[in-house]
Amino acid sequence: MSNPERLSPLGRRFLDRRGFLGIAGMSTASLGLASLLQQDGLLAADSRTTSGKTPIRPDVDPDHPYAPRQAHHDMPAKQVLVIYCPGAVSHVDTFDYKPALTKLHNQKPPGLPAVTFEGPSGNIAKPFWDFKPRGQSGKMVSDLLPHLGELVDDFSFIHSMTTDTSAHPQGENFMNTGFTMEGFPSFGAWVTYALGSENQELPAFVAINDPRGLARSGKNNFGNGFLPAAFQGTDFNAMNPPSNLRRPGAISLQAERDTVSLLQRLNERHLSRFPGDADLAGRIASYEMAGKMQTSVPSVMDLSNETQQTLDAYGVEGGSELKGKYARNCLLARRLIEKGVRVVQLFNGSDPAGGNGITNWDSHKDILKTHAMQAEIMDQPTAALLADMKQRGLLDQTLVVWATEFGRMPFLQANGTGRDHNPSAFTCFMAGAGVKQGFNYGESDEFGFKATVNPTTVYDFNATILHLMGLDHERLTFYHNGLERRLTNVHGHVIKDLVM
Amino acid sequence: MQRFVFDTPVRSMRWGIAWFGFWVAAGIGCPGWAQQPPSASAESVDRIDFESQVLPILQDSCQHCHGEDEQESGFRVDGRAHLLRGGDSGAAAIVPGDPQSSYLLDLVKHVEEGMEMPPDEDKLSKQQIDVLARWIRQGAVWPGQMEAVELKLQGADHWAFQKVTRPEVPPGSQHPVDAFIDQALAKQQLTANGSADPRQLIRRASIVLTGLIPTPERVEQFVADSRKDPATSYEHLVDELLQSPHFGERWAQHWLDVIRWSESNGSESNLYRKNAWVYRDYVIRSLNEDKPYNQFVREQLAGDVMGSGEALGFLVAGPHVPAATVGQEASAIRQARADRMDEVMQTVGASMIGMTVGCARCHNHKFDPLTITDYYAMTAVFQDIEFGSRFPELSQDHPRRQRGQAIWTQINQQRNRMRPHGVWEENWGAYREMHLRPVTTTAVRINFQSVAVGIDELEVFGPQDNRENLALAASGTQVSGPDEMVGDPRNVITRLNDGEYGTMAWRARGNPKDKTKRPYAIFEFTEPKQINRLRISSNREYFYDTDYLTQKPGLNFGDYDVQVRDQEGNWKTIASSWYMNQQLNKDIAERGEAMEQIQRLIDLLAEEGPRPSFIGRFVEPAVTRVLHRGSPENPKAEVMPSAPAVFGGDFGLGSNATGAQRRQAFAQWVVSPENPLTSRVMVNRIWHHLFGAGIVTTTSDFGTAGAAPSHQALLDYLAAEFVAPTSDQLQPWSVKSMIRLLVTSDAFKRSSQPQQSALAIDGSSRMLWRFPPRRVEAEVVRDSILLASGVLNPEKGGRSYRIHNIKKTYAQWEVVDNHGADTFRRMIYQERMRRVDDQMFTAFDFPDCGQVRAKRPVSTTPLQALNLMNSQFVQHQADLLAKRAIEFAAGDTQAAIKRCFELLLGRQPDKQEVDDCLQVAQQHGLPMVCRALINSNEFIFLP
Repeated sequence: MSNPERLSPLGRRFLDRRGFLGIAGMSTASLGLASLLQQDGLLAADSRTTSGKTPIRPDVDPDHPYAPRQAHHDMPAKQVLVIYCPGAVSHVDTFDYKPALTKLHNQKPPGLPAVTFEGPSGNIAKPFWDFKPRGQSGKMVSDLLPHLGELVDDFSFIHSMTTDTSAHPQGENFMNTGFTMEGFPSFGAWVTYALGSENQELPAFVAINDPRGLARSGKNNFGNGFLPAAFQGTDFNAMNPPSNLRRPGAISLQAERDTVSLLQRLNERHLSRFPGDADLAGRIASYEMAGKMQTSVPSVMDLSNETQQTLDAYGVEGGSELKGKYARNCLLARRLIEKGVRVVQLFNGSDPAGGNGITNWDSHKDILKTHAMQAEIMDQPTAALLADMKQRGLLDQTLVVWATEFGRMPFLQANGTGRDHNPSAFTCFMAGAGVKQGFNYGESDEFGFKATVNPTTVYDFNATILHLMGLDHERLTFYHNGLERRLTNVHGHVIKDLVM
Repeated sequence: MQRFVFDTPVRSMRWGIAWFGFWVAAGIGCPGWAQQPPSASAESVDRIDFESQVLPILQDSCQHCHGEDEQESGFRVDGRAHLLRGGDSGAAAIVPGDPQSSYLLDLVKHVEEGMEMPPDEDKLSKQQIDVLARWIRQGAVWPGQMEAVELKLQGADHWAFQKVTRPEVPPGSQHPVDAFIDQALAKQQLTANGSADPRQLIRRASIVLTGLIPTPERVEQFVADSRKDPATSYEHLVDELLQSPHFGERWAQHWLDVIRWSESNGSESNLYRKNAWVYRDYVIRSLNEDKPYNQFVREQLAGDVMGSGEALGFLVAGPHVPAATVGQEASAIRQARADRMDEVMQTVGASMIGMTVGCARCHNHKFDPLTITDYYAMTAVFQDIEFGSRFPELSQDHPRRQRGQAIWTQINQQRNRMRPHGVWEENWGAYREMHLRPVTTTAVRINFQSVAVGIDELEVFGPQDNRENLALAASGTQVSGPDEMVGDPRNVITRLNDGEYGTMAWRARGNPKDKTKRPYAIFEFTEPKQINRLRISSNREYFYDTDYLTQKPGLNFGDYDVQVRDQEGNWKTIASSWYMNQQLNKDIAERGEAMEQIQRLIDLLAEEGPRPSFIGRFVEPAVTRVLHRGSPENPKAEVMPSAPAVFGGDFGLGSNATGAQRRQAFAQWVVSPENPLTSRVMVNRIWHHLFGAGIVTTTSDFGTAGAAPSHQALLDYLAAEFVAPTSDQLQPWSVKSMIRLLVTSDAFKRSSQPQQSALAIDGSSRMLWRFPPRRVEAEVVRDSILLASGVLNPEKGGRSYRIHNIKKTYAQWEVVDNHGADTFRRMIYQERMRRVDDQMFTAFDFPDCGQVRAKRPVSTTPLQALNLMNSQFVQHQADLLAKRAIEFAAGDTQAAIKRCFELLLGRQPDKQEVDDCLQVAQQHGLPMVCRALINSNEFIFLP
């Protein structure tokens, strides 16, 4: 397709922001439906969010949906990387140290429920891995994640996470879209809708899926919901480019160029019959951008310029095949952040049918084996990614979020080898721009069964992420079906303590 | 039976009285509005004095946040009526005489986490709380306020909630639509464009009405006819388009968008919903038949008692989480049911009522006069609906039923061929059915030859009544078998005749090394019965509910012998499945042939006849209660099935009403000519799809948070005409005649040419000084390409064409073929799995079917460009189109280029265009030209 030099005069004119403003009002596309309505005075005059605050609707130019836009308030974080671990990582075996479990090992859990998600409960189990103090702070982290453990001084842990559901898909939906139900815009779609992107040659929001496939909620985790399709996450990873990116093999480069050039001429003649129509011009511009993506995406996916030292640090070779692939995805994540992509969502696990055997962190049976296999894939590459980003200064303006949908029980299931889902306490962490370093927020009870100090809802968690991105979660809204919808529904409080 | 009373004081009084009635009904005792407070003499000594004891508490501790100036949570305490009504939570703050039910006391006692009032250290003292409790018990006397004070519900006076009255048509144009539109244009000093060029007009009308571009021949004919008589030729065109079967295919999609209809559950396993498409076909057929909208509504709410059972697919159109992924916790199971009911509420609210009823699930609606009580009273209407499958109830003249009967006739013919040759067994997929010679016996024994069997139900029928299952435990039949072969106590043999299909099955395992130790089952009847048929299944529910899974449960029982007990008490073998399937069917040619025919007919019946379909199943309606703060763990007062009180929604139905009665009453309320919303919402929806934006742009929200109408008088005029037409061009509730009226207006026929001055005043063209151009939807792009390339398969209805894989239960659907010849049907027939990216048109805002989508966003993205340039679909179609054009032009490239323009754009290229295209065609082949044309703005925009 076209490269920038081949940009048509008209296309160039319409790509030019200033030239564009003159005709922006003529657009009929309903991308920013609500903003159009407001402009026409057609929406009820006192449009309100459910919290009573007035919405701040991003000024989305329908034909330039990825143009960078102002945040609500000034914050250091301009980009965000979410590392999502589907399946529910056991907090009591990783970051949330509970000596009481060792003390009461193999005893009946006092006052804890007899039936949980999968059925009857068994006895209390001590952590399956030993905990050791790590970093300067001496934060206790288990031997399951030694590489991440080294970096604890950079992290802000939230040990009092709670969620509304014990089921994975609903839990994934909740973490990633703010609702347990399907069809709501993903976190990444909200941020892209609010802020656009700094890079017009790469997708604004990239979902790097696990080599084994999509997580259980599939596309819902990075979908646009009822936001315009422009804000959906583009799905590719280090192995597979976005679908339809490449020119079909049967078409020669010259044929491609001549076709694109013919298309441009056809469109220009058509546009001359509708002078000043922004929708038509916007569509011409989208072809120019697609042409740029055809070179910029393969280029960002190309790891051949990475040094051996970097490849080794990420663990591209020498581990399991899945670790190697995930490590490449981690490298891709860093490269996308370097290029200014607004939101990168990196998955470490798929749905249960995704691979052979272990597919995600879900560990109802034989947690000793399943968590270990999953950790082998996740630990070193993720730690290397964060260290690399820090070393390159990327954390100065990138927020990093590590999350999972819930925790696991302090006791075993009746089968005696795995832990069931725990929605009442789990651990997530954040790092990077705007986040306190070496900080712990909230606590769960002595068993890690229930959040007791500063219980934190998923709404609070998402409100905090938006806040760190310079966005007010109560005012970032989109009108849909009678409501000014928000990522945080009608809830959520920013965890101020965690903000630097 | 319905009355819509909008002078709010009267209405509110009825509402108030309803509550009053509740207290009485609940046996709390009528406090007589405490004119005469319950004067228990023992208490009279402790009589609470409101002025000196209660009022200070309210004023000092509550009124700051809940008074005249500020009403947090929509609650105020500065009047008895406010307390009686309560705040946003919907719970009455005080129930005179009943402290237990008075939410105020829960709040001040800090009973509920997060709802502690006044908060923290400001908590009332024990004495103060006691004063309030006693005051309430004594009737909550508030001197001077004991007359029923009426409270107006917020938003009740909103325009859309007032009865529709037909406005006068303004003077001017003969066409009523233009009369209103012209008046508004004049007011804003906008000058309307002239008529669109005939080529544009036919393209516009064809796309808007049928979703397809016109053929070149039809374009030329229209252009020629227009020259002679523009008005008549256009009317003929419109009639032709409205009569086209493609009309229903286009407009059904609009309705399916609103209710987010899909063929999968969503959620983790996202299972396919088998035969759900019968509902899609119902919608298409209804629109093509121009079924009156009021009937269309009634059938979708109560079609089970109207001979259109498949129409109830409407109610279960939304996503749901199947039981298997909800988990074992009782509270999670209750929550899942409440979530499913909420999906039903959203469907009904967004499509038919035009209100966001879901907002009242946890508290009173913030903007509209809907209370939490209204919400749960509406869920009571649908308490008998559950997500799942059933046989649709179809009227005698229903095409599917007639087709089914024709097939059944053939099956019976084949069975008659079979009968002389002894017993036989049919495979119905869900079960195997053994046909026996009629025999009278007191007991039946089935000996299985497999080591392991899994059977959810074994049914025995006789010739007396071919529907009565003689094996059913409920009829007294006893079942027994080898208990030692059952491993899990949940899989006992009594599962065989408990009348329930599904995972709860009899599972037995014999000894693989000993042929005599195999599972068997004995059914003992209470008296001798004549039997002639057996039906055995492994998981019939699963078979009927879903499909396309790699590990689909099969029929897990292998071969078996059937024995009956004779009068001497000896077991006598009367059938052997192995012998008849493997030997007899081969040995006797007639038999084998008949068997083949029967199996073929069974498959045909499954496609074309009435079969179990995912259109919802019925359950016993449960007692419905208000769920405080939306939580099933917090059930409060019982509610009776009704529509919102503010719209006179009391049907007078009690909790003993059947499910169908509830839904019928609700349907009657929706389509009552007095209902202020139904007709407004529908004509506005029609307007939206014709002009690209509704008169009310928020097409599923006519509440106070929705958009104001751009032409309210016009909307009301159309709404009134829709229900009770005065124009002889309209029939009551006829969608087609309403569309015809609108598209014959000058407003629809105008040129879309921009005018700089008009754009400055009305940038979005909503005043309709021009027809607003827009990008066409995903379906129009795809279907029109297929039409142009000459391969569009016009086959109507039936099973969706597949684009996905056959998957593991917990895997994601993957698109495996979205471009092959099997997919050349209209896109409404494309298999629709929730939240799956079809790798092609999702980028064009094709919905993911997760949430209601009354209006699709229109975005322009580079991914669209990549899909339309590089996908296999477009490559393949470009080849086909080029081939077609070359053939038409007998090999002449220049003529072929012209033909491509005609086929895709409905016009001739000019010289410059021909030259440009010729160059590319000569160097790289005509398909490259087709590829460019398919990607052109002219092709993708509605002119």
